[in-house]
Amino acid sequence: MMSLNSKANDSGLAKQKGSKASLLDKINPLIIVIVFLYVGITLLSDRFLDIGNQMNILRQVAVYLIIALGMTFVIASRGIDLSVGSSLGLCAMVLGTLIEAGTPVAIAMVVVVGLGTLIGAFNGLVITRFRINPLIVTLGMLVALRGATHFFMGGSIIRMPESLRFIGQGFIGFVPVPAIIALVATAFAYWLFFHTRFGRHTVSIGSNEDACQVLGIHVNRHKVAVYAFQGACVGLAAAIIVGRLNAASPSLGNLYELHIIAAVVLGGTALYGGVGTIGGTLLGILTIGILENGMVLIGADFHLQRVLLGFLLIFAVAYQEHRRRVIDTRAFSRIREAEE
Amino acid sequence: MDTAVSPLLSLQDLRKSYGAIEAARGVSFDIFPNEVVAMVGDNGAGKSTIVKMLSGVVKPDGGQLFWQGKSFHPSGPDAVRDAGIETMFQDLALVNDVDAPGNLFMGQEPMKRWLGFLPILDRKKMRLETERLLDQIKIKLQSVDRPVRLMSGGQRQAIAIARILLSAKAQLMIMDEPTAALGIQEQSKVLNVIRNLHAQGLSILVISHNLEHVFSIANRIVVVQGGRIAASVATDEVSQQDVVQLIMGGRLQ
Repeated sequence: MMSLNSKANDSGLAKQKGSKASLLDKINPLIIVIVFLYVGITLLSDRFLDIGNQMNILRQVAVYLIIALGMTFVIASRGIDLSVGSSLGLCAMVLGTLIEAGTPVAIAMVVVVGLGTLIGAFNGLVITRFRINPLIVTLGMLVALRGATHFFMGGSIIRMPESLRFIGQGFIGFVPVPAIIALVATAFAYWLFFHTRFGRHTVSIGSNEDACQVLGIHVNRHKVAVYAFQGACVGLAAAIIVGRLNAASPSLGNLYELHIIAAVVLGGTALYGGVGTIGGTLLGILTIGILENGMVLIGADFHLQRVLLGFLLIFAVAYQEHRRRVIDTRAFSRIREAEE
Repeated sequence: MDTAVSPLLSLQDLRKSYGAIEAARGVSFDIFPNEVVAMVGDNGAGKSTIVKMLSGVVKPDGGQLFWQGKSFHPSGPDAVRDAGIETMFQDLALVNDVDAPGNLFMGQEPMKRWLGFLPILDRKKMRLETERLLDQIKIKLQSVDRPVRLMSGGQRQAIAIARILLSAKAQLMIMDEPTAALGIQEQSKVLNVIRNLHAQGLSILVISHNLEHVFSIANRIVVVQGGRIAASVATDEVSQQDVVQLIMGGRLQ
């Protein structure tokens, strides 16, 4: 057989670990992190395990989660969208303005999901037509959309009537409505990512764009659709957050992009594309949500939370990179053993 | 070749430039039904550009293509595939993070209905079909459900070759260096694959540097030189030395 140019000179080690290691490879390490967080925070705060607080975590992560679903597609396709936070702010203000003017909630929501989709599609078009790095395009949009929100919508907070409350604050049984919406969206995203051509091609474009092109996949069109999907997620998230806060503010969504990108990468989606996981994104968001909730309960300083989040982002990328390399190396050495 | 038969694919004066570099300056030749044509030429002669134009990856700047007698202006690689031309690219065009079945079916994945309504990828069908095709070319994979980045060069090449066998309506196979990354044993397997395709009535355009292979499978040899076709000769009328001579810019005595 061909010689494998692998760096696997630790095949003895791989043998020792054997099948146990391969089982561990399949479990997302975040599950262990979450278990540790649960034990740790419970020891430090007796309120943490309250069902009320647990549901509160779910309600708080719902907005992050919905945006992160779109981000999983974007990052898996080797893109990035830094504009989600600013886009959320603009969508929230447009929604607030529409509802204040008496537009029925359902129509206002459709409009705002459409607006988000358009913003996403615009990002995608600029990235693909002008071949500009998505980091730059969406960084520009991060600044421009925030500016536009303040300029056109004014700086004041819009108080909402009762009508949108159910979406942001309602309960079905004891489960918050936003959590239900987010979980349904997660199931949909899982199907789209894992079981359809759309998801398959998203990952493939992230892995080898040129190969996809020569195999007849419409790469540019697909990328625009991915960014548009991200935008639709932002629009939906805007409706939930306005309902939850009972108000729309022009500074809504500030720094959300960091939480979301951190969670997606923490979950195991590769920042350089080609690998993505919806389940991992769910776990990543839960990890960050639990961490934030716990720090509030413990009474940690807000600014300290941000220090932690920043380092978490760096750690997430480093760790996932390392983990993939270890798994690959082990797989290589296993192949070599089998072939010898 | 019987001249009464009309060509399957006809290239007429195809041109392509990249900036100041003229990669193809008027390429004309025909491929007839059930013919194995080998395209040979030095590095940089323009072979890859011709392959890219034929597979729809790049659009020619000028000239015309005729497919089954009709003028053919493919909008892209998918249109070429639809017409019945399959291409195995020199760089294999594999998606490293996806497994073998995923790569085989990339862009044309079969779907099924889950519980009768929800459309999902038919992974089982993809897997079975992949195993069948790899079996057909007699190259074994230890397991097909690993990302192809974890596979050896020979296995990767096998996947790229199996991919062009997938299409039921293909009439022309273009294979760019199909034996390049292979060991001796596998090389002969791939040559057998080409012979089998030929026996099934297909046409094959194969690009190779290995003249021994070329002489063992091709009916006709097309020599590319400086972006043009320098010669088109029947394999049984020339010797290997003659072809080497042609590739290096000489003439037949």
